[in-house]
Amino acid sequence: MKWPKLRAIGPSLWGIGVFLLVLGGLAPWIPRFPLTILVNLLIFAALAYSLNFITGLTGYVNFGHVVFMAVGAYTLGYTVGTIRLHPLGGVALGGLMALVLALGLGAVTLRFRGVYFAIASLVTPLAGLNIVLVLPALGGGQGILLNIGFDPLSWFYTIWAIIATEVGLTYWITHGRLGYGIRAIKSDEDAAKSLGVNAPRLKLFLFALSGLFAGATGGVYAWTTSGVFPEAAFDLTFSLRMLAMIVIGGMGTLLGPLIGAIAVYLPSRFFLTIFIGTESIIIGLVVIVIALFVPGGIVGTLRKYVPELRRILE
Amino acid sequence: MLRLDGVQAGYDGTQVLWDVTLAAEKGAMTVLIGPNGAGKSTTLKVINGLVRPTRGHVVFQGEDITRTPAHERPGKGIAACPEGRRLFPLLTTEGNLRLGAYPKGARSSADETLTYVYELFPRLRERARVKAGRLSGGEQQMVGIGRALMSKPSILVLDEPSLGLAPKLVSEIFVKIRELREAGLTVLMVEQNAYAALRIADFGYVMQNGHVVKSGPPNQLLDLEELRKAYFAIP
Repeated sequence: MKWPKLRAIGPSLWGIGVFLLVLGGLAPWIPRFPLTILVNLLIFAALAYSLNFITGLTGYVNFGHVVFMAVGAYTLGYTVGTIRLHPLGGVALGGLMALVLALGLGAVTLRFRGVYFAIASLVTPLAGLNIVLVLPALGGGQGILLNIGFDPLSWFYTIWAIIATEVGLTYWITHGRLGYGIRAIKSDEDAAKSLGVNAPRLKLFLFALSGLFAGATGGVYAWTTSGVFPEAAFDLTFSLRMLAMIVIGGMGTLLGPLIGAIAVYLPSRFFLTIFIGTESIIIGLVVIVIALFVPGGIVGTLRKYVPELRRILE
Repeated sequence: MLRLDGVQAGYDGTQVLWDVTLAAEKGAMTVLIGPNGAGKSTTLKVINGLVRPTRGHVVFQGEDITRTPAHERPGKGIAACPEGRRLFPLLTTEGNLRLGAYPKGARSSADETLTYVYELFPRLRERARVKAGRLSGGEQQMVGIGRALMSKPSILVLDEPSLGLAPKLVSEIFVKIRELREAGLTVLMVEQNAYAALRIADFGYVMQNGHVVKSGPPNQLLDLEELRKAYFAIP
């Protein structure tokens, strides 16, 4: 059966595709310092896309997303540190470990709805931190220090590939039958079930995807910082920043996470030296203002008020 | 076709249904009537799987489906149009209808079923591209029924189709429901509007305080003087 396209196909996907191709082509010529900034930006974009799978598409707010990132980071730290695995292998394994964790966690926590899920999700990074602190193999409170060198171009292409996959998957999932099912769940889960949408399985699928990509990105992050440190790996403000990105960019949209990542990361990068310590306050205020007045985020609001853009932005 | 046997159910420890036994016969239109809070909607939630009975059985076409998850029931042939329609407001009329064809068995024939639904409710064809949230109450009810029909059900389960509709629209919708029954579809309908419901029914059950207190052909139920006074306040 032919499913009608939920939105006009294309321009946004094309746009992101061209953007990524241009970046990918230019990367070897970008000087090292700007390239590391770009890598950091892309790491945030990849995290935002990973969170978008569950929180953006289904509306299940996950405060504990950072736990997947931490699992990915620790997996890379451990495998590269002890068995001298190539960092790329560490990234892949990190994604897999986070995927397994997501399946286990999601099987339990996705039974909660709304605010109860959000609360349950908040607990997992706290638990993760306390578990890691007592595991000597993971360095306990010291963390793991790696010596894997400075290789921005490899970081770049790895994170680049992760984002390209995320964007492609997001597009594929939201266009077609699955997309209808997911919209139905976001709008009214019981009604969706009554129509035959296998909500538990669909949610778990999205949660697992979100874990997989957050884990892989966490691996890349550990690679760029050449180490993993418990307090930083399980830092809840990472979760909040990812949430801020998709809220500001536009929840559940294709462009939103990228735009949100740019909108949050670049200013915070510049303000870092000016307003030390107030960065979180500023991001928090912006999120409150957006949630109150423009709940659709940048993409959703443009779509709402500029009809001409509806065919282009998604 | 569909049978409830001694069903007890409730929410978080508050028991709502006490020993409900009823049956919807194949090809017939069965209505479940009763005042507010009698347990009618809970009975329907037991049927579509959103509430698990603590005791008793739900049997559909000879198969015990008491423990079948809600999302598997449409595939078995039970289509529910829940109370208050529960449409997806941001999807278009057609999007909502197509979602009704989500079960595997209904996908391949979705285009034909859609044509059928549009023939049944021509108004919906005109409103195909409109977001469901912008439809009128009557149109929304049509989408609700149409969406349930999209899964090609063996039994259509309707919860309060008259809810929030003007009297003229109520009779219009009821005529359509009766048409579906004439075309051979088995229908189970819950209604507070007992008088209108019994007029198109083949068989009726009366619920009160979580029990089935009376059952019989519509004329018998309408004739019961004390029922009229007690539940429906029909003069």
